[in-house]
Amino acid sequence: MAVLAAAAALAVAGCAGGSIAANTPASNGQSFVAGSPGTTVFKAGAGPLAPAVAGPVVGGGKLSLAAYRGHVVVLNFWGSWCTPCREEAPDLAKLASDFTASGVRFVGIDIRDSPPSAEAFTSDFRIGYPSLSDPGDNLALNFRSTVPPAGIPTTLVIARSGRITARVIGGVTYTGLKSLIQRAAAQPG
Amino acid sequence: MTETRTSPVSAPTPGDGSPGTGALSPLGITGWSRWGWRQLTSMRTALVLLFLLALGSVPGSLLPQQGIDPAAVQQYYTSHPALAPWLARLSLFNVFAAPWFAAIYLLLFVSLAGCVVPRAFRLARSARALPPPAPRNLGRLPQAARHQTALEPAAALAAATAVLRQHKFRLRTGDGWVSAEKGYRRELGNLLFHLALLALLGAVGLGGMFGYKANRLLVSGTSFANTVTALDEFHPGRLVSSADLQPFTIALNRFTASYVTSGPDRGQPSDFDAYLSYSAQPGSPVHRDDLRVNHPLNLDGVKVYLIGHGYAPVFKITDGTGKVVFNQPVPFIAVNTAGLTSEGVIKVPDARPYQLGFAGVFLPTAVDVGGTLESVFPAPIAPRVSLVSYKGNLGMDSGPPQSVYQLNTAGLTRLPVAPRPLAVGQSIKLPGGAGTLTFTGYRQWISLAITYDPGQVPALIAGLAALAGLLLSFFIRRRRMFVRAYAGPDGRTVLDVGGLARSDPAGGFEEEFAGLADALRAACAGSSTPTTTPQGERD
Amino acid sequence: MVVNQGLSHLSDQFLIVTVALYSLAVLAFAADFAFGRRSPAPAAAEVPELVPAGVSAGAGAPGAGGSGAVAPGAVAPGSGAADGAASGVDGGAASGADGGVDRGAARGLSRGSQAGQPAGLWVRAGISVTALGLAAHIVGVIIRGFAVHRVPWGDMYEFVIAVSCVAVLFFLGLMIKYRPYYLGLFFMAPIVIIMGLAQTVIYTPAGPLVPALNSYWLAIHVTAITLASGTYVVGAVLAVVYLFAERHARRVAAGLPVRNTEVFRLLPSAARIDQFAYRTVVFAFPLWTFGIMAGAIWADQAWGRYWGWDPTETWAFITWVVYAGFLHARVTAGWRGRRAAYIQLVGFGCLLFNLLGVSIFITGLHSYAGLS
Repeated sequence: MAVLAAAAALAVAGCAGGSIAANTPASNGQSFVAGSPGTTVFKAGAGPLAPAVAGPVVGGGKLSLAAYRGHVVVLNFWGSWCTPCREEAPDLAKLASDFTASGVRFVGIDIRDSPPSAEAFTSDFRIGYPSLSDPGDNLALNFRSTVPPAGIPTTLVIARSGRITARVIGGVTYTGLKSLIQRAAAQPG
Repeated sequence: MTETRTSPVSAPTPGDGSPGTGALSPLGITGWSRWGWRQLTSMRTALVLLFLLALGSVPGSLLPQQGIDPAAVQQYYTSHPALAPWLARLSLFNVFAAPWFAAIYLLLFVSLAGCVVPRAFRLARSARALPPPAPRNLGRLPQAARHQTALEPAAALAAATAVLRQHKFRLRTGDGWVSAEKGYRRELGNLLFHLALLALLGAVGLGGMFGYKANRLLVSGTSFANTVTALDEFHPGRLVSSADLQPFTIALNRFTASYVTSGPDRGQPSDFDAYLSYSAQPGSPVHRDDLRVNHPLNLDGVKVYLIGHGYAPVFKITDGTGKVVFNQPVPFIAVNTAGLTSEGVIKVPDARPYQLGFAGVFLPTAVDVGGTLESVFPAPIAPRVSLVSYKGNLGMDSGPPQSVYQLNTAGLTRLPVAPRPLAVGQSIKLPGGAGTLTFTGYRQWISLAITYDPGQVPALIAGLAALAGLLLSFFIRRRRMFVRAYAGPDGRTVLDVGGLARSDPAGGFEEEFAGLADALRAACAGSSTPTTTPQGERD
Repeated sequence: MVVNQGLSHLSDQFLIVTVALYSLAVLAFAADFAFGRRSPAPAAAEVPELVPAGVSAGAGAPGAGGSGAVAPGAVAPGSGAADGAASGVDGGAASGADGGVDRGAARGLSRGSQAGQPAGLWVRAGISVTALGLAAHIVGVIIRGFAVHRVPWGDMYEFVIAVSCVAVLFFLGLMIKYRPYYLGLFFMAPIVIIMGLAQTVIYTPAGPLVPALNSYWLAIHVTAITLASGTYVVGAVLAVVYLFAERHARRVAAGLPVRNTEVFRLLPSAARIDQFAYRTVVFAFPLWTFGIMAGAIWADQAWGRYWGWDPTETWAFITWVVYAGFLHARVTAGWRGRRAAYIQLVGFGCLLFNLLGVSIFITGLHSYAGLS
C-alpha cells in the first residue's frame, strides 16, 4: 500500500511525468525565467511612457516614480538571490554615485525578496539609491503594456519626458549603461 | 446494354485510342510530379506513413523526453555517456518535436488532404447523381432473390418502386428495371472524419503558436502576478511575447492536505485544498477559490492547475555582526513520497563576515528508526529539520545563475556543528562567530501550472467532428437495390431483386436485403386475375 | 469514504467462482470437440445455384476463404459431416434471402445453426456455464464497485477484470446471435488464463482513489477504454483463429498435407471469421477514439494540458494509428486477408503494452498499477 501511496503521490505531484515535474517546480531550479539578454533602444520621443509606480521602499519609507519626472531615471529590477543581479550591482552602485551630481536618479525594484534579505543586499553592495519592494509583482504588472521586464535583471532608462529610451535584459556593464544614460540625458526634456 | 460492374473506373484496354503498346514517351517534370503525387496520395503510402508514425512514436515513450522530464534525460546522459550524444543527434530525446517526426505526420496529412479534398469535390458533384442502371443478370449480385407475381411487369415494377421510395432510396427507372441507392451520407462521414483530423492538426498548431505554459511555486501567505519575472518556468508559443500574458494575481491564503490515517492505505493523500484569492487584473474585484486537483481555476481564458505541494520551513538567520539577514520560508522538495521527507538548501549571500549556506532535510513526522531519523507520515505531526552548515563563497556574486535548490559547495567550508535535528523554535549557533540559525516554523507550498491554449476549444470541436464522421462512415452502409420485372416462361411475371452493399463495415446488409425482398414480394402479391389493376393488391 | 473490506472479500469470492465456471466452460467446449456427435448435413446439391461473384472483400463472399475447396457431397458419417455443411454455409451466406433457401442457413456462421441441426449437449453445457460465469463475473465487479464507493475500474487489477468481463459479454452475444459455438474453446481459454493471472499476479486489494483520479471523468474515460479493449480482445482471438483457418484452407487448396482437419471443418469459413474480426474493430475503434478524447479532456482538467506525450498517451496513440492502418489495409488491394490480420494482431500487441506494459515498465503520470 506504500506503493499505492507512491503511485498516488506520483500522480498528484506530477512526479516523473509532466513538465510539471518531479516535485522540482522549476526545471532549471533558478526560480526565475532568464530572459534572452539584449538591449533595446527606442528613438527619441518614440518610447512608451513609463508607468507611474509607487510603493514602500526597502528599509522603510515610500517612493513614487512620478516625483522624478524631469530627471533621467534608471530603473533596475533585481533580487538578492539572483546571481546576474549580484554581478551587476557594484557597477550600478558606482554609476549611481557618479551620476548623482548630474541629476540622474537610480531606482531599484526588488522582486521576490523578504525585507531582511533585501536590506542585507543593499547594505552589502552599498547601494545608495532606494529600491521599491515588490514581493507580489504588482509593480512589474504595471509595466506589462509598455516594456515588460522579460526576466531579471532588467534595467530601464527613462528620459526626462517620462518616456522609456532603452531596456537592457540581463546584467549591465559600467560602460554600456553609462552610454545609455548619456544618450538619454542628451535628449531634450 | 452491357453488363456493368459497379466500379466507376474502367481499365483502359488496348485499342481504345491509346497510342499503342510500343515505346512509351519519357515522363517530363510534370509527368514525374504527377506520378509522385499519385504515389503520395495512394492508400499504400498512407499505410506506410501510418506505420512509420506509430513506429516513430515508440522511442518517444521508451526514452526519457526533454519536454517531459529533463532531469531523467540528464540521468540518461550520465548512465549512458557514449550512447546518449548519438541519440540526441537523432532527436530521440525530443521525438515529438523532431524534424523527422514532423516530416512523417506532415507527409501523412498532405497525403490525406490530397486524397480527401478531390473526393470532397467529387461528392459535391455527385450529390445529385442517380444510381447506375440495373445489371442484366441480377442473380450474380451478392444478395439476390427471385419472386413470381401475377401482376403485369409494369405494375409490379411500379409497386416495387413505391416500396423502395417508401424506404427512402434514391431511384432511377428504366425499361423494365428500377435502380435504387441509399447511404450517401457514409462518404460524407468519411470525409468529415479525415477533414476533422486536418482541422485538429491546425488547432494543435494554433495552440502551439499562440499559447503558453508556465509554472510557479507559491508558498502560503504569499502572492504572485502573471508576469515573466514572477514565473519559475515560461514556455511561450512562437508568437507569444511577455506582453501577452493575462495580468492576473493569485495569493495562496492556506493549503491543507489530508491523508489516510489508518488502514492499509495509511499515508496516502486523500484530499488537497488550496485556498486562493485572485483577481483577473490589477484593480478588479478579488475572488476566492478552493483550488483542488482535477478542478482548475479558469481565469480570463487561462487555466491554473494545482500540480504539486510540499513544505517550506521558515528560518531566521542572524549573521556574525548580529544583523538579521534572512527571515523567510524556504521551499523544500520531497524526495520520498511515503513520509514526504523533503530536501532543500538555504543561501545567505549577504551575511557578514562570511556568506552562509545550509543544506538538509525537513521531516514532517520525524521518528527514530533504528538510529536514523525518518519521516513516517506525510502530515506535519512532529516536524524536524536537520541541516549541514557551510560558510565561505556561495559563488553567487558572478558567473552563471544557480539553482535555488542546490548548493555549490566548491567555495564553501563545512562548519563543525554537532548534528542535531531541530524542532520548531530551536537554533544552531554557528562556530567562529559566523551567526545563528533558528527554525521558526513551517509553511506549505503549492506548485501551479498555468496554461493558455487558444487552440483547445477548436481541437475539441475537431475531435468531436472526427468522432461523428467516424460513426457515420462505420454505421451507414452505402447500398444499392435493383429490381427487374419481366414476363416469365409460364405467363407469370418474374420479379428479380438484387442487392449490393458497396461498403458495409458493421454488417447487417443481409438482414436488410431479406427484409426488403420480403416487402417487395408482399407489395407485388397480386390477385389471381392478371389483368386487374395492381393498385388494389398492394398492402 | 472508507473501503468496505467485507464487500471487497465477497467480490473476490465471486470472481474466483467466475474463473472456476469459465474453466468448466473451457472443458465443456473441449469435450465437444472430442466427443460431440454430429448428424449428417443435407447434400450439397440441394443448395441453389446463386453463387455470388464477391464484389467487396469480406462482405460475406466465401470466395476468399478456402472452404469452397472442401469437397461437397456425401461424406462418411461420423467424420463430422462438415463438408456438406461447409458448402451449405457458404451457399447460405452467399445467397442471402431467397425464396428457395432456408433463411436460417443464410445467417448462420456455423454448422449448428443449420435448420434441424441442434447444438450438441457439450456445447449447450459450455454456453450455459459461460453465461453463469458471466453472471458471477458481473456481480463480482459490481460488488467491488460498492466496496470502494466508485466505478470499479480504478487500478490495473480491476481494469483487467472489467475488460475480460466486457470481452466475455461480447463473445456471448456473438454466440447467441451468430452461433459460432466452436470458437468457444479458443476464446474462453485465454480468458481463463488472463483472469487467473489477474487474481494472482496483479491482484490489488480494494482501496480508495488518489485525489488525482477522483473525478467523474474516471467513469467516462476508463469505461470507454474498457469497452473498447474488451472488444479488441475478441477481435484478436478471431484474428488468430482466422490465420490458422486461412492457412489450413490455403494448404488444402494447394493439395498440401494438413492436420487437425476435424477442427477446421467445425469452424466457420476463414472469410467469415475475418469478417467478424473486422467488425469487432469497427465497433471498438470509435470507442477507442472516444476514450482517448475523454482521456484528453480529463488530462486537461487534471494536469493542465490535453496531450503531453505521456507514455500511456503515446501508446494509446500508437494503438489508434495501427488499428487505423488495419482499417485502411482492409480496403487496399494486396493487404486484405492475412496481412490485415497481422496488422490487427500488432495493434493488439500495442494495446496490451499500452494498458499493461507501460504501467509495469515505464513510470509516468499514468502509473496506476499499484505494483511494487
